Amino acid sequence: MKNKKLFSMLAALVFVASSPIFAADVKVIANPSVSATSVSSGDIQSVFLLDKDSLGGSHVQPVLVKGGAAHEAFLKEYLGKNDSALQAFYRSLVFTGKASMPKSVANDAEVVAYVAKTKGAVGYVSAAASTEGVKTLEVK
Amino acid sequence: MRLVIGRFMAAAALAALSFFPTLHAQEFKFFDRTVQVHGFGSQGYVKTDGNNWLTMNTSDDGSFHMTDVGLNLSSPLTDKLRAGAQVYDHNLGQLGQWHPSLDWAFLDFRAKQWLGFRGGKVKTTVGLFTDTQDLDFLRTFALLPQSVYPIDMRDANIAHSGGDVYGRVPLAQRMGKLDYTVWSGHRNDSMHGGYAYFLQYHGTVENSYGGLQYGGDVRWETPVKGLLLGISRLDEDLIGIGTRAGLPNVEKTKKDFTNQFFGQYIHKNLEIDSEFKRQYRDHILRNGTAEDQGNLHAWYVAGSYRLFKRVSAGGYYSHYTATSTFNKILDTDLPDGHVYDKAITGRVDINRFWNVKVEGHFMDGYALASFPEGLYPQQNQTFASTTNGLVMKTGFNF
Repeated sequence: MKNKKLFSMLAALVFVASSPIFAADVKVIANPSVSATSVSSGDIQSVFLLDKDSLGGSHVQPVLVKGGAAHEAFLKEYLGKNDSALQAFYRSLVFTGKASMPKSVANDAEVVAYVAKTKGAVGYVSAAASTEGVKTLEVK
Repeated sequence: MRLVIGRFMAAAALAALSFFPTLHAQEFKFFDRTVQVHGFGSQGYVKTDGNNWLTMNTSDDGSFHMTDVGLNLSSPLTDKLRAGAQVYDHNLGQLGQWHPSLDWAFLDFRAKQWLGFRGGKVKTTVGLFTDTQDLDFLRTFALLPQSVYPIDMRDANIAHSGGDVYGRVPLAQRMGKLDYTVWSGHRNDSMHGGYAYFLQYHGTVENSYGGLQYGGDVRWETPVKGLLLGISRLDEDLIGIGTRAGLPNVEKTKKDFTNQFFGQYIHKNLEIDSEFKRQYRDHILRNGTAEDQGNLHAWYVAGSYRLFKRVSAGGYYSHYTATSTFNKILDTDLPDGHVYDKAITGRVDINRFWNVKVEGHFMDGYALASFPEGLYPQQNQTFASTTNGLVMKTGFNF
């Protein structure tokens, strides 16, 4: 009985350790100037696919991370594209004059720093990242 | 031969510079506005057996006369208004001939998500790839399916000088979203384009070719994730002014329209595209003394897959048939009435800015109706019924 319980715990541990990172491990942050406190996942998708430039009446601009686990999780959960497809999508807009290439930075700390100092900036970081100086948006 | 190899190496070296951070997209401030600078370029090599292709002498040693470059500037002027412009230059065999052009330049005002306006020289939204057909780096293939996107005829509908009304409308009941574009403008062909070159064989030297174009495009981002369906319509009223045997010559379209249906499915690393295009053109020729009714039907199915982070592969079947009453090409089963093309491609991304592609084409037919389809009489005194081609291309973008 004891061995069965231990086995179940070990199995659960292995499952969690091998699971892909989920959206719960990513949080969406915004500059304090952004009036919205909760947004829909559709709105997040529209902002990061450059189809929408306002949230809750505030003008917004997206900032992305160049790579990493949080970046991959965000793309999978909110944008439905991998990084190559997303870059191709952005370039199709940039080279037909329909958009500018969004800002991208190296890591969570740079995202937080950029979002904190830039009016209207919206970004994403890993759940454990410090969010001093920015607000976290609830995504419904 | 050394000159062309040297040219290829210079292009490859330029692409190699993309290793250096300084070649990343540049930004600078202009009157407190951020201006972005982006660019791209490509160099190709084409070798065929059978016929010479795309106005190049490809059947001997092959040809490196396949080069293009583009550079753009753009800036958001306000939260809703942006401006930008791109210059483009290219050479494709006898076409282009390094005459730079203003590729696009417009103001874009996005009043609402569902309502925006563009005015200036604007890339035309027809089908999946009309507006991005020059942007090699966006796709696996070295050449888009030529039945629908003939590279030698890029002038025909790549851009218009006029305006667009566009927007995105979410649909109720989670039925996806609709993107629409309605546009109107003036088409003005380069005299170094495929149609002008094609007419030279028939004794006509064009000084100008263009006119009114207008149309619409609706595409549905369906509730099925990754599935896009759409339809485009284009109408045009064109006039060509030139000379024939030294005398003034005018040709006009009496009726000219295109219907294009398209679908795209993207799932993870897989992309499948398919389009059907039908163009009808009733054309008054030779100062009103002759008439040509041309009927074009074209379709393709293409698939590509990203095998690894930097390697992708793909293939397509491209089907083109065209008839012409004036040229007495009425049976599309004969080689002069069709081009069927099977293509297979491999692409390697050296880094995020530089790619290399190798592509094989296996073509049946040479289509000599009202429009050229890549195989010109000027390079082919007699036509072989099949053409096999190798296309190698390297390209960069920043």
